[in-house]
Amino acid sequence: MRPDLDPEQLDRYSRHIIMNDVGPEGQAALLDTDVLVVGAGGLGAPVLQYLAAAGIGRLGIVDDDVVERSNLQRQVIHGDDDVGRPKVDSAAEFVTGLNPDVTVDRHELRLARENATDLVADYDIVVDASDNFATRFLVNDACTLSGTPFSHGAIFQFEGQVTTFSGDSPCYRCLFPEAPPEGTVPDCATAGVLGVLPGTIGCMQATEVVKLAMDYGETLEGRLVAYDAAEMSFEEIPVAAKPDCPVCGDDPAIASVADASYEGRCSLAED
Amino acid sequence: MHVTVEIAGEDTHELEVDADATYGDLLAPVDLSPHEVSVLVDGEHMPTDQPVEHDHVRVVRLIKGG
Repeated sequence: MRPDLDPEQLDRYSRHIIMNDVGPEGQAALLDTDVLVVGAGGLGAPVLQYLAAAGIGRLGIVDDDVVERSNLQRQVIHGDDDVGRPKVDSAAEFVTGLNPDVTVDRHELRLARENATDLVADYDIVVDASDNFATRFLVNDACTLSGTPFSHGAIFQFEGQVTTFSGDSPCYRCLFPEAPPEGTVPDCATAGVLGVLPGTIGCMQATEVVKLAMDYGETLEGRLVAYDAAEMSFEEIPVAAKPDCPVCGDDPAIASVADASYEGRCSLAED
Repeated sequence: MHVTVEIAGEDTHELEVDADATYGDLLAPVDLSPHEVSVLVDGEHMPTDQPVEHDHVRVVRLIKGG
């Protein structure tokens, strides 16, 4: 941990530093934490905003998409001039412009079985801000197999979910063992999403990352929060370990991401 | 058998089901498909082909978007 904050950092992070429960040590912990954010879209935007502002020392951004005009209703780190640009470039510029303390790693690629293990191994905490089941299951498996804590968020229309997995047990597959058949669960592109919804859920994910980095407070480990923006209600659902979970169970069938397929149902690989 | 089906973030339903009903059988009456949800008892996922052994379940939707 770096205890030596320079005068500019003492000023920039002064509202953190004056808090008894954060202080210079907590800020130094944030500056010494490496976070991988998978997805620079609806959820990734507020996550990156607040983690950059908080002074997370290194932010990795994974995304293989380009900015589209239809993204701008909710993806607040991208602007109209960014349409057509890779999201990792637009996001990296935003982060650097907000806080030059933050080192940004741009990963303009899709998280895949071939790169997930190495990518995750290079960071302390991972944020699942993805928009598809293949990536969600891959993030879960790579993080759980490596013991890396990660924040999970998901959004749909007026509804959001957020939880935190410690990298041990339970994991996302304890809750959802397999992905649904293709086309059975609609996405935001076809069913829509309230523009401010990812702001709420993404800020909760960023909050969880900040607490994990500072080793402070109670995370959402073992609890999933379901948020209904239409009713402005929050509900907490316990999440328990599944003894026969294929990743974190008593006799796991998936010992590496090579053992699973990340297409279709995201179940065991056939080969 | 009387079962309370609580859909996270949504409504709660009171159902009367056959003694040999499965957890999957609890979903059609509340207009849900087994593919789009997880049925939980005390936080633990219940396979939808397993017979219902609890009088209260929570159902969590599988959400894709980000």
